[in-house]
Amino acid sequence: MSYLELRDISKVYGEGAAEVHALQRIDLSVDTGSLVAVMGASGSGKSTLLTIAGSLEDPTSGEVYLGGRPLSSLSRNGKARLRRQSIGYVFQDYNLLAGLSAVENVSLPLELDGVAARKAQAAALESLEDFGLKDRASSYPDQLSGGERQRVAIARAVVGNRQLLLADEPSGALDSTNAEAVMRLILAACRRGMAAVVVTHDAQLASWADRVVFLRDGRVVDQTVPVDSPETVLADLPNQ
Amino acid sequence: MSVGVLERPATGSASEPTTGGVPARRAMIRWAWRLFKREWRQQLLILLLVIVAVAAVVVGAAVATNTPPPANAGYGMADDLATYANSGKHPINLNLVTAQSAALEYRFGAVQVIENESFNVPGSSQTYDLRSQDPHGPYGGPMIQLLSGHYPTGPNQIALTPGLASELNLRVGDTWSSQGGKTVVGIVQNPQSLLDEFALVLPGQVTHPSTVDVLFDAPGVNAGRIGSNVSTPGSLNNNPINPETIVLALATVGMLLIALVSIGGFTVLAQRRLRALGMLESMGATDRNVRLVLEANGVIVGTVGAVVGFGLGLVAWLAYRPHNEQNAHHLIPMFALPWKVIVPAMVLAVIATFFAAGHPARAITRVPVVGALAGRPAPPRQIHRSFVPGVIALAIGFVFFSLSGAGSEGSGVIWLIPGFVALIAGIILVAPFFLAVLARAGRKSPIAVRLALRDLSRYRARSGSALSAISVGVLIAVVICAVAVARYSNVYDYVGPNLASNELAVWSPSGQNGNGQGPNGTTSAIPSIESQEASVHSIASAVGATDVVELDNPAPSVGLQNPSASGRQWNGQIYVATPALLRAYGINPSSIPSDVDVLSSRPGLSGSGVQLTYGGSGKGGGQLVGPGSGGGGGPGPGNTNTCSPEGCIAHPVVQEESQLPTGTDAPNTVVTESALHRLQLASQSSLDGWIIQANSPITSAQILNAQTVAATNNLSIESKNDAPTSAEIVNWATVFAIALALGILAMSIGLIRSETASELRTLTATGASSRTRRSLTAATAGGLAFLGALLGTVAAYVGLAGWFHSNSLEGGVSDIIDHIPWSNLFLIVIAMPVVAAIVGWVLAGRDPTGISTRPME
Repeated sequence: MSYLELRDISKVYGEGAAEVHALQRIDLSVDTGSLVAVMGASGSGKSTLLTIAGSLEDPTSGEVYLGGRPLSSLSRNGKARLRRQSIGYVFQDYNLLAGLSAVENVSLPLELDGVAARKAQAAALESLEDFGLKDRASSYPDQLSGGERQRVAIARAVVGNRQLLLADEPSGALDSTNAEAVMRLILAACRRGMAAVVVTHDAQLASWADRVVFLRDGRVVDQTVPVDSPETVLADLPNQ
Repeated sequence: MSVGVLERPATGSASEPTTGGVPARRAMIRWAWRLFKREWRQQLLILLLVIVAVAAVVVGAAVATNTPPPANAGYGMADDLATYANSGKHPINLNLVTAQSAALEYRFGAVQVIENESFNVPGSSQTYDLRSQDPHGPYGGPMIQLLSGHYPTGPNQIALTPGLASELNLRVGDTWSSQGGKTVVGIVQNPQSLLDEFALVLPGQVTHPSTVDVLFDAPGVNAGRIGSNVSTPGSLNNNPINPETIVLALATVGMLLIALVSIGGFTVLAQRRLRALGMLESMGATDRNVRLVLEANGVIVGTVGAVVGFGLGLVAWLAYRPHNEQNAHHLIPMFALPWKVIVPAMVLAVIATFFAAGHPARAITRVPVVGALAGRPAPPRQIHRSFVPGVIALAIGFVFFSLSGAGSEGSGVIWLIPGFVALIAGIILVAPFFLAVLARAGRKSPIAVRLALRDLSRYRARSGSALSAISVGVLIAVVICAVAVARYSNVYDYVGPNLASNELAVWSPSGQNGNGQGPNGTTSAIPSIESQEASVHSIASAVGATDVVELDNPAPSVGLQNPSASGRQWNGQIYVATPALLRAYGINPSSIPSDVDVLSSRPGLSGSGVQLTYGGSGKGGGQLVGPGSGGGGGPGPGNTNTCSPEGCIAHPVVQEESQLPTGTDAPNTVVTESALHRLQLASQSSLDGWIIQANSPITSAQILNAQTVAATNNLSIESKNDAPTSAEIVNWATVFAIALALGILAMSIGLIRSETASELRTLTATGASSRTRRSLTAATAGGLAFLGALLGTVAAYVGLAGWFHSNSLEGGVSDIIDHIPWSNLFLIVIAMPVVAAIVGWVLAGRDPTGISTRPME
């Protein structure tokens, strides 16, 4: 059953001579529990696809369905609530909030949704423990390594009852070991019931996905299902 | 390592599902506080502004409100005071005082009687009071304080003030023979007046009081209904324009300027945090949540600044308080702070920073989430959206100023407040338009200038606020300059310092400025003219003066009047232009044509249409003190003063003589002897006093000595007062405007240029030299300063035109047009921008490592 569905999505930036067709008539569906990787050259529309799927941007035409509900029917505040409750984002440069500790960063989406600070932080602590970061919970972002920051970012994206994880080059700033660890975490989240879309340049990391979608000039040019097991640099395979 | 998708805990506030309720707000405020702790250095400028402003308010308000005598001075703890005093040669009727005191006690309860008898300090012109007062009386406690020894407990005991004890060379334990051999048992003072020199005795010890004060409380009863000699502290000090309201008004304007300057700083902060705020929105934060982060930051800055500023101000006040007590001549409690001013000022500081932070906060929420995540700022608003409302606001300001001018006897002053608010709002709203105009005007200028002016327009979120702040500062200064010049230029109601610093006026007790009394305040005979002249020449030689000018009043009196009954009326004394007076001021009597009636140093009097009145009661003329009084009758039809031929000359010949002094109490306008002869008034004149002119400014010690000498013949000494000259007011206002504008530019230019840092890097990469860098900064500073000065000046004259247009006391709009302070406006509008550009050029010479850092990190 697909949780995310993009139907005939187009996105145009600018007007007249400056008009840019970032996406052209894209159809894509992501099932609950599955991981979809999106690959393509720079400017192919990967990030635009992700922002439209996550309600950060509206498409010029077409419709996005999340859990069967069209996003166009939601108000600005309604979309904000949807993001708080259902969507988790992971960015290449982590985007942790300076000034907040790791546990506070993770608990923030819950607090934004009205969960009392104590309960939210307890849930965040539990999430960090799952990611092996319990002892770093009170550390601030600038006291964490790159890999730790991205793990905190993923913990923040999955905390609560989220159904969709959107990751834009989540391993772009990491070495291969940390990059693979990040992919394992995302895959593990999928196996627990989340739908995930990961934008990446790295074919090796894309091989972890259930399906790989190729974009070129804003169009889907190919979709494949990786046949082989993913290449791994780590000793153990992800929990499944 | 395993990963679990955790279940969402239940929300705490089911009633606010879309905003996150209190937990979300708490999280945003927590983050804002953490950011403030991390990034307070980047907000140091705003923080310092608030700290200095609040500290200045604390010290300024404390000094302003504590320097005047306490509101209850002379009343102690009582709410009512009945005063009895000698009337001329008639002593106080003590039986009446006793009866009325008893009646007051019967009606209102406890009373306290304080009797004073005035004496000369032996061998000195100084006086002191022998005072009978119960130190433990029900009301007089705040008026007496024991410094050493004890209060008198018997009829042979007395306590002295420190000054009196020093003058008499007496200490505790000594016997004072002059007061019946009383023993000095204590040193006391009046905390409410340290100049109050007295000797304290038990009640009933003063036999011939010159004044008797009866203190009592009559709650809910109008003092005037009890008796004409009854007053209350409130009835003496109910003027709404008091030091507290003035300081509060200044604090309000100051906080407004801080808010305008702070907008730029908060905009930079918001830009730095743009990606973090975008991340917050991507997590589901609402616009309200995002705004709250920035607004909470503003409140935190304002609160911290206000608290630290208060602390700093308090320390400064405690350090200055002893000096203030010396200047004010009364004791000031340590924490006698005007909370009614300080608390609102602190609240204003928080409100100012809240609104300053709220402005960029609203702009940030207009940025699309994706744009925020990429660090792209919001595009500027369309200019026309604010220009039209700005012009309307300026027009409203004109109307309010007109209403203010139309009010009679100062009743319209209240309209000045909305008038200034409207003008300031107008400035803020039209500022972006003029930035765009400046950019268009600079289209054909060299590249660096063109780029700088265009950037001012492109990034008007912060350049607009800086421009507004400069304009508001200039607005205030130009209003002060224009009003001062127009007011001081009024030839009828002449204002300014009374005398020059090298002049002393000595008034005869028989003259108009004398007190009509004999030596030492007694009612004995007035000393002879010869005796008075001897004292005057003694004073003159003591101050090293060679010129002593006798001032004679024509008798019957002569006056001048404004033909218009609704305009300002003549104010000033007219003396006789005796040959001695003319000679003293270097005027050759033969240079005065025989048909000249009046000589004056007041510029413009000759062409003002002034009328000469004469004759006093005998001819229906006399000196005017108000519209239509004397001078041959009241105002005639058509709002003009009448000028009947039997007591008035409609077109006297007035000759302007710049050699005559310009002080308001000096002989700035004199009537010629030939005119008196023509008017048949030459037979009499009366001595009013003398003007003594020294070669150098007269010192305070010389003035004190002159007062002592003068007191022997009951002459009165008048020296230069503290009233400022027109030039002083205008020049200080100009300095204020220039300093404020340059200060705002110093704080703003870095912020404005930092937004274009990437362009600067590109320019440097394409080979631009430091000259280009200097030109950019100089053009930014000069352009902003020029536009701010111009806009502030125009707004000031819009308001003034409204005020002068409707104010019947002034001469209409032409009055300010005729008296434009060109040189000061040149300094503000032309010289100040040039200085700003030069300073910008000089300071922009260093390598731009700091400025080239992108504001977004």
